[in-house]
Amino acid sequence: MAVIYIDNVPYEVKAGKNLLEACLSLGFDLPYFCWHPAMGSVGACRQCAVKLFKDDQDTKGRLVMSCMESVRDNLYCSIEDTTAKAFRSQVIEWLMTNHPHDCAVCDEGGSCHLQDMTVMTGHAYRRFNYKKRTYNNQYLGPLINHEMNRCIQCYRCVRFYKDYAGGKDLDVFAAHNNVYFGRATDGVLENEFSGNLAEVCPTGVFTDKTLKEHYTRKWDLTMAPSICQHCSLGCNIIAGERYGELRQITNRYNGDVNGYFICDRGRFGYEYVNSLNRIQHPLIRSHVPEAVNRETLFDHLKPLLSGKVIGVGSPRASLESNFALRQLVGENQFFSGVPETTAEMMEIILSVFNTGDVRIPSMKETEEADVVLILGEDLNNSAPRLALSVRQAVRNNPVEVANTINIPAWHDAALRELVQSEKGDCFIAYPVITKLDELASGTYYISPDEIARLGYAIANFLDPQASAVPDLQGNMQGHAVLIGNSLQKAKNPLIVTGVSLQNPSIIKAAAAIAAALGEGDRKAMLAVVVPDCNSMGLAMMNAPSILNSTALSTIGSPDTLIILENDLFSISQEAQISEILDRSTNIIVLDHLHNPTSARADIVIPVGTFSEADGTLVNNEGRAQAYFQVYMPKNENLRESWRWLSDLKNLRDGTTDANNVTPHDLIRQLADKMPQFTGADQAMPTADLRIKDQKIPREPHRYSGRTAMNANLDVSEPKPPSDPDTPLSFTMEGYKGLQPAPLNSFFWSPGWNSNQSVHKYQMEVGGALYGGNPGVRLFNHINPGDRSYMNGIPPRFKPDKENWEMLPLPHLFGSEALSSLSKGIAELSPQPYVAINSMDAESLNVDEGSILQVIIEGVQYELPVKIKPELPARTAGLPYNLQELTGIKWPAHGQLVKG
Amino acid sequence: MESLSNRKKVLEQKPMNFWERLYLPAIFQGMAITFKHMFKKKETIFYPEVEREFSENWRGMHSLKRDEQGRERCTACGLCALSCPAEAITMIAAERQKGEEHLYREEKYAAVYEINMLRCIFCGLCEEACPKEAIYLDGPIVPANYLRKDFIYGKDKLVEDPINIESPVAGN
Amino acid sequence: MLRVTETEHVDFSSELLSKFGEIVKRYPEGKHKAALLPILHLVQAEYGWLSPASMERVAGYLDLKPIEVYEVATFYTMFFLRPQGKYVLEVCRTGPCCLVGAEKIMEHLENKLGVKEGEVTADGQFSWRGVECLAACGMGPVLQIGPEYTFHENLTSESVDQLLVDLKNKDLSI
Repeated sequence: MAVIYIDNVPYEVKAGKNLLEACLSLGFDLPYFCWHPAMGSVGACRQCAVKLFKDDQDTKGRLVMSCMESVRDNLYCSIEDTTAKAFRSQVIEWLMTNHPHDCAVCDEGGSCHLQDMTVMTGHAYRRFNYKKRTYNNQYLGPLINHEMNRCIQCYRCVRFYKDYAGGKDLDVFAAHNNVYFGRATDGVLENEFSGNLAEVCPTGVFTDKTLKEHYTRKWDLTMAPSICQHCSLGCNIIAGERYGELRQITNRYNGDVNGYFICDRGRFGYEYVNSLNRIQHPLIRSHVPEAVNRETLFDHLKPLLSGKVIGVGSPRASLESNFALRQLVGENQFFSGVPETTAEMMEIILSVFNTGDVRIPSMKETEEADVVLILGEDLNNSAPRLALSVRQAVRNNPVEVANTINIPAWHDAALRELVQSEKGDCFIAYPVITKLDELASGTYYISPDEIARLGYAIANFLDPQASAVPDLQGNMQGHAVLIGNSLQKAKNPLIVTGVSLQNPSIIKAAAAIAAALGEGDRKAMLAVVVPDCNSMGLAMMNAPSILNSTALSTIGSPDTLIILENDLFSISQEAQISEILDRSTNIIVLDHLHNPTSARADIVIPVGTFSEADGTLVNNEGRAQAYFQVYMPKNENLRESWRWLSDLKNLRDGTTDANNVTPHDLIRQLADKMPQFTGADQAMPTADLRIKDQKIPREPHRYSGRTAMNANLDVSEPKPPSDPDTPLSFTMEGYKGLQPAPLNSFFWSPGWNSNQSVHKYQMEVGGALYGGNPGVRLFNHINPGDRSYMNGIPPRFKPDKENWEMLPLPHLFGSEALSSLSKGIAELSPQPYVAINSMDAESLNVDEGSILQVIIEGVQYELPVKIKPELPARTAGLPYNLQELTGIKWPAHGQLVKG
Repeated sequence: MESLSNRKKVLEQKPMNFWERLYLPAIFQGMAITFKHMFKKKETIFYPEVEREFSENWRGMHSLKRDEQGRERCTACGLCALSCPAEAITMIAAERQKGEEHLYREEKYAAVYEINMLRCIFCGLCEEACPKEAIYLDGPIVPANYLRKDFIYGKDKLVEDPINIESPVAGN
Repeated sequence: MLRVTETEHVDFSSELLSKFGEIVKRYPEGKHKAALLPILHLVQAEYGWLSPASMERVAGYLDLKPIEVYEVATFYTMFFLRPQGKYVLEVCRTGPCCLVGAEKIMEHLENKLGVKEGEVTADGQFSWRGVECLAACGMGPVLQIGPEYTFHENLTSESVDQLLVDLKNKDLSI
C-alpha cells in the first residue's frame, strides 16, 4: 500500500499500479484513450495528463501522463490543476480536429468513449475551420463495419488485434496526419476476436455490423445479464433487445471468466433468436389445425403423461429446465441427450474433478500459467476465449525478467520491447495445424490415440509410479521427456484438454499428467473443454446417455418420450435415433427452432431461447452462472422450458402451485436433491431480492419512446410486463445505484456512457466486480482415491488401409448449430470438406478439390478434398457438426473412395 | 384568532336600503356594461373560417424537414426521442442504400418515425435536441379525431411535402 | 489502404539478392525483420519506387506477411509508393520556407510541370512534392532534387525555371 496525495488529499492506494488506474479506482474522472485495463499503457494519446509535484513544497510541478507514472509512496499530484486541465482540453481539441462529428449517424453515439471524454474535458466548441482529412473505408467482412474518418489514432485497435489477440491482417499504415488502421486490402478480418474491436475502439471506427441491420442506441435497449450459449466456457454477456427483437450482444466483464473480451461466435451468433424458423405455437400433429392453444394442448397432454414417460435432457438447456424434466419423469426415466462417447468422457472429467487431484482453473487463472500443454484441442475453434488466455500465458515467462529490471507490469510498450518474440513453453499435440502453433515450442501432429499415449508417456516420466506406455513410437519418448522436463520446472503449469477429438483416453492422459505434476499447493491446473454451454451441468446430474445400450434396454417402449431442447438427429446416426423414437408412442419436443427432431415429434411445444428465459448454466470449470430473461416475448407461447415442464407436472399430478415457480426455487430443490449442486442456488438470486425496496431495471433511465413504441399495436398502453421470477424489472424503474454483480444489466455511470464505465463497477480497475465476480464454483466435494483414469492406455495407432480414422475438426463458425443460423456466421462458415494428407491423397490419386466419397457406417458423403500435409496417415478430418455433416456417430471410422 | 396572512377582511352584512332592494340601479348598471361591449372590438375568432395568428414561438404540430435538395434531414439519431419528457417519439433507423442519396441527406434515416400526439405535450424539446434541424413544431394545431389510433402520427403525416422546397416559406 | 493494382510479378536480380543476403547477415538469427528497411532502400534505388508486387516479394524473401512490409513502407515518407519521375523535386514546406514563398514555388512547379504533387510528367522526367524541413531555414525557399540530392536555395520562379532547363539539358547531354 502507498499513500498518494491528489490535490492535497491523502489516499491509500495499491502500489505497483499506474497513477491513472489508481485515480480511476479512487473514483476520479480522468480522461484517457490509449490505456486499456487489459492491455496496459503506452502513453500515446497524451489525454490523461496530471500535474506531478516533487513534494508538498513544490508549487510549480510538471505535467506527466498519469498512465505512465508508477504509484509510489508520498506521490503528490493534481488532477484539478489549471495547467493540467488546459492541457487535457487542448489534447482532445486536436484529437478532434479531423473527427467528422457525425454522432447523429454513428453507431457508437450514446455509448462512445470519445463523446464522454470530450464532455469530460469541456471541449465544446470547435475552432478548427479547415478541411478535414478523409479516408476510404474498407470492407472488413459481414461482422465488422469500418469508418476510418472517425479515428483519433489511439492505436488501441492494432494493440488489441495484433499484440493481444495475435491477429495478422490488421495494421497501421502511414504516418503523421494520414495514419490509417485497416487491412492491406478489403477482406474479412481473420481473427476470432475481431468483434472486440467494436468495444476496444473508443469511437465509431469499428462497429458491430449486425447491429446496423436493426440499429438501436444503447440507451434504447432493454438489457439483461446473460451467459453466452455457444461454447462451454460460459463467457458473461449483455444481451439487448428492442421492439421484441434481440439486437446486440456485448461483453459483460467478469474478472474470473472472460474479462474484457469475448469471441466472435459469442458476439455475433445471436440471430437465431430472431429466426423465422422459430416454433411459434404448440403443435399437435394429429390435430386440425396443427397449431393449438394452451388449453387444447394441456387437454391433449394429460392422458399422455400418466403412462411410462421418458425424458431426454439437453446439454444446451439450463439446469432449471433439465431438473424440471427430471422432476416430471422421475429420476430413473431421465436420460441425457448426448452421444455415448461424450457421456463417457464427461464421466471421466467429473471423476477427475471430484478427486481433487488437479486444480480446475478459471479462465483468469489460465492466464497466469507459465507452461502450457494442449492435448487434443484446437482451442481457437472449440473454446476461442481460452485460446486468448493461453496467448497471454505464454508471455508470462519472458515477462518475469521485467520484474528484475523494474519494469512495471502495466508498461505495455516497454514489456513488448523487452519480450519481443520470446515465449514461454507451450506444447500442442493435435492432428492438424492450429492457430496457436505459432506460439508453440513444440507441436506434434499425431492421431488421437497417439496424443493419449504421448500424454501417458509424459505422466510416466513425471511419476514413475504411473503406468509405462508400451511400444512407444521412435522419438515419442524424447518428446515426452522434453515436455515433462519443462512442466516439471514450471511454477504454474497448465494442461488443456477436451472432448473435441472424441477420445476418452486423451482426457485420462491429461488428468494423469496433471496428477503426476504435484499435490497440495503445487497442484497443476487442468482445463477441460466440453461440448456445450451446459454439458457440465447435465453431466453432473449423472443421467445415463439415451444412446447407451443399457439405457436403451431400460427404456423399452415408453408411452411418451419428452425431448428437451435437443436435436437428437445431429448427435448420432439417423438410423439409431429413428430406432429410439420409433419405440415411443408419443414424442413431445420442447424447442425453440424447427429441426429434424421436432419434425418427427407428435407434439411440439415452443420454448424461449436464452433471451426469453431465465436459467443457470454450469461452465467447463464447474462455475454455475445465471442468465436472465432480456424481454417478455409478445408471443405468450414462448415460455421457459422449466415453466412448461412444471406446468406439465402439475397437470399430471392434478396439483397447482400456490406460488409462481421461480428459477431460484428450482435450483434450491436441485441442490437439496443432489448435493453436488450445493452452492448453485447462490448463483441464481431469489426473486424477492430488492435493493432499497426496489427491483433492478433492465432499461437505462434514458430509455425512450415508451408511450409511442407500441402505440401502433395498442394505444391504451398496457401495464408493463412484470417479472415475478427474478429481481430484475422490465422497465427503467428501479434501483439506479450499484447493483449486485450478477445482476448488472448494463454498465453505465454518470459521464461514462460507453462500456468503459465498467471500472466504476470494479473494486479496483481491472479487478473483481463489487460483491465478487458472478458465478459460484461447484466441485468443492472431493472424493480422493479414485485414480482409475490412470489406466486405459490405448494401443499404438496403426494406420488402417481400409478403415480410415475420421477426425472431427471443430470450426469457430459452423460447428455450433445455433450460431450458424446468424447470417454473417453462416457466410463465414466453411464448406464441407474431407482433409487428408498429401501421401494419402497421392495413394488415392486425388488432388485438392477433387471429390471423394466418404462412407461412414453405410452413410455416404461426397466431399471435396482438402490437403493438410501434417495429418497423420490414414486419418481423415471432417469439419465437425456442419449443417451438412451432422448425424455422424463419433468417434467414427469410414472408407474413402475416389468418386 | 389572529389571521395567519394578515389579510383577513371582515365583511359587513348590514340590511339593504330601499334603493338597493329595488334592484333597478344595479340592473341598469349591468345592462350598460353589456351594451357597451356591443360597440367594442370582438374578442372571439370565427374558427375555422378565421384562424388566430400565431405568435412566433408558437409550437404546433411537428414537421420533419427536408433540405434544399428535397432530402429528408432526419438521421434517426434518437435525440428527440431521448429528450421527449412524454416519451412519445419512437423511430426505427435504417441505413441509406446506394441510389437513395436523393432521398436522404445522410447515411442513416428514419424508416419509421412516430409521435403519439395523445402523449405529446408540445414542449419543443425535440426541436431543441435535434442536431440536424430536422424537426420543427411549426405546424397547425393538431386536429381532433374520433379514434385514438389516429393520433399516432407517422412519417406520412409528419414529413414535409416535397413541393414546399420549390417555394421556401417567406420570412424563414 | 494501398491501391494494390499491380499484380505483375517482380523478380529481383541475383545481384540485388546477394546484396540482400549481406544485409540479412548483419543481424542476429531470428531478427531478420530488422533487415527490412535497408532492403526496401535497395529496392527503391533499383526500381525508383516500391510497387506492391516488389513489397510482396520482399515479404516473401524475409518470411514476413506482406502487411508488415506495407506497414513500414507507408510509414516513411521517403519511400515512394507510386512511380516517380527521374528527378524528384522536393520543396521544403515547413514554417520558415513557407513564410518566404515556398507555397508559391510549389504552385509554380505545378503550373510549369503540369502535374499535381506526387505525379509524374508525361515524359517521365519530373515529379515534385512538398517535404518537411530541409535544414536551410536561413536560405529559403529551398528544394532538393533526388535521387542525387542536390540542394538549391533562395528560390524564385525564375531560378526554378532555370533549374528545370538545366536538368533537361543535363539529361540531353548524357
